[in-house]
Amino acid sequence: MTCRVLSASHYLQPVRDGDALPPLDQALKQICREHFRRTDRFIKLALLGSARCAAGHGLKTDCGIYLGTGFGPVASNVAAQEEMLRDAQLPKPFDFVNTLGVSAGFHVAKNLGLTSQNLCISRRGASLMAVLTAAFTDMELGLVGQALVGVVEEVTLPLDEHRLRRGLAADTAVAEGSHWLLLEAGGDAGRTLHLQRFWEFPVLEAELGSRRRAADRLCLARSMEEAATGKLQRRFPDTYSGDLAGAFHDNLEAAWVAEFAAGGSPGSLFLADGGHKRGFSLLHLGA
Amino acid sequence: MREAYIRGVGLSCALGMDAEQCVSAMLRGGAGPTVLRLDGFAEPPMLQYYRIPDGAELFDARRFENLLPPVVRAAVTQAGLTADEISALPVFVGSSCFTVGLAESGYRMALAQRSPSAMPMPVCDYDYPARLVQQALGCEGETWAYNTACTASANALLAALRMLQIGAYRHALVVGAELANRTTLAGFSGLQVLADVARPFDAERKGLVLGEGIGAVLLSVEPGPAEAMRLIGGACNCDTYSVPTANPDGRSTAAALRQALAEVHLSPEEIRGIKAHGTSSTTGDQAEAAGMHQVFTTVPPVSVLKPYVGHTLGACGVNELVLYAGALARGLLPATPGFETPDPGLRIHPLRQSVSAPDGRYLLSHFGFGGSNTVLILEKPA
Repeated sequence: MTCRVLSASHYLQPVRDGDALPPLDQALKQICREHFRRTDRFIKLALLGSARCAAGHGLKTDCGIYLGTGFGPVASNVAAQEEMLRDAQLPKPFDFVNTLGVSAGFHVAKNLGLTSQNLCISRRGASLMAVLTAAFTDMELGLVGQALVGVVEEVTLPLDEHRLRRGLAADTAVAEGSHWLLLEAGGDAGRTLHLQRFWEFPVLEAELGSRRRAADRLCLARSMEEAATGKLQRRFPDTYSGDLAGAFHDNLEAAWVAEFAAGGSPGSLFLADGGHKRGFSLLHLGA
Repeated sequence: MREAYIRGVGLSCALGMDAEQCVSAMLRGGAGPTVLRLDGFAEPPMLQYYRIPDGAELFDARRFENLLPPVVRAAVTQAGLTADEISALPVFVGSSCFTVGLAESGYRMALAQRSPSAMPMPVCDYDYPARLVQQALGCEGETWAYNTACTASANALLAALRMLQIGAYRHALVVGAELANRTTLAGFSGLQVLADVARPFDAERKGLVLGEGIGAVLLSVEPGPAEAMRLIGGACNCDTYSVPTANPDGRSTAAALRQALAEVHLSPEEIRGIKAHGTSSTTGDQAEAAGMHQVFTTVPPVSVLKPYVGHTLGACGVNELVLYAGALARGLLPATPGFETPDPGLRIHPLRQSVSAPDGRYLLSHFGFGGSNTVLILEKPA
């Protein structure tokens, strides 16, 4: 299925050892319709990215929210566990409520006046493809006319604990991110997004071989099966490494796609993911 | 629109350790919750809780890996899938706890040992339940983790149905997983929304009684050898009235009901019964009741299953579907224990005794934190 990309927003901010987390409140004040109290960083990141993406676009009433995340609102979970297990107190109500991933989507919906679907979906490091697949499925079935698709990953301090939770080496540079696409079903005007699913790897490889032009960027998702990644790297030696800010979060693929779409880059982008038992997906962000 | 056949089910909840046993126990009236003292707090909360009768220590971090495999094996075995079909099986999980209990256990142990490296949330992995399922079944299909609070596994069911409808899969395993953990129990205690008895839609209702449960449903586009219930459609929407509850005026719950009916081209008069969400909270039941009255001229027979198993939060969509479909398969609409005094402000009267269930379509409602409203439609074939 093909849909139109109405807009994109891309926030990727490295957090270095010794740094405080980058301030968000001023940016939120400029872009959000109201001031949301008792929100955590995960919610703020979702609000910032979604509001920037939707700015200037009249959203349809049947616009669904599809929020993907590998790790979700960790800071609120940390706060709740410290309150309970270290301090022997009941968790503060807003810390507890904010432990739920769906709370971020609630605030996004409230800020943008949306009342359609509000889904929070995770597939660890392949969460972008999960939320895009869900959004495309609903658009194909005519259940939503537009989809606001985002991926959010937060950083928690101290960074050594953040790295431990994610199984990262002690010197890994880390980043937080909020990457969003506003999609509309149907039409082929402007920038388009096309998602195909294949059960056989050779079909994916052939599709890429026939459709990709030399100038097109080819990204291989880090969650793609190793053997398939190896074969595609041998066939297409110029695959994109995606080192956008020299820093890591769990769903950088979302950053690759949103940055490309938001930046108005010429040419098009392909993103391949999957495995021989789970099937393969090929995303094509057209010019 | 193409329907999905419920080819296999599994369930562990307060009613028992397998689905048939649970349905039988429910139709006999259930056993009720037990008292739980939540130690480790300056003022330990006492609460009623519906726990799985597995004999293990309630907060034992290994319970997930002990309890999940038998439930999903039961669903897949009943479905009679081939080895090839199992190996590519996609797994949809809905939960609101995921690895929270596991993380609490690790942090608590480190604090008890006075470890200088004690770290809150040492584990954080939404994929953990799906990975356990894959290990138990030997499957390697796609995984989906839905984190939409109390509607999580209902949304997982809806998502799986939609993927089957567009032809992405032939079969899908949907799991609802919620096990006891301190964050949930202490968090709800702190919100002051818990009660000693679940009394859905009752004038004397005081709040929720929580429970735990793991359920599994194997959906397929192929009917299989046995007569199967069908999941035929549903809808979900978002109500931004407040994070903890839908608007008590019922507008958004009514919209979800109407959307679900419209998706499968049904009129309200064609619905034979409703499995209501019925948390027994003041405003939650108000929002749900108002929504039903806006859609139905005469509200069909209502059953609420939380008085049997507690509110199993993210797992309630799958768990209550297994119980309700099991009762329908036996030709019965289940009664609602705890409902005694009708609330004139609600005008919803859940069944006090089980009654005969005709063939036809049934609604299953789920409403959760984050403004998430999800309605499923089930068909009992003639």
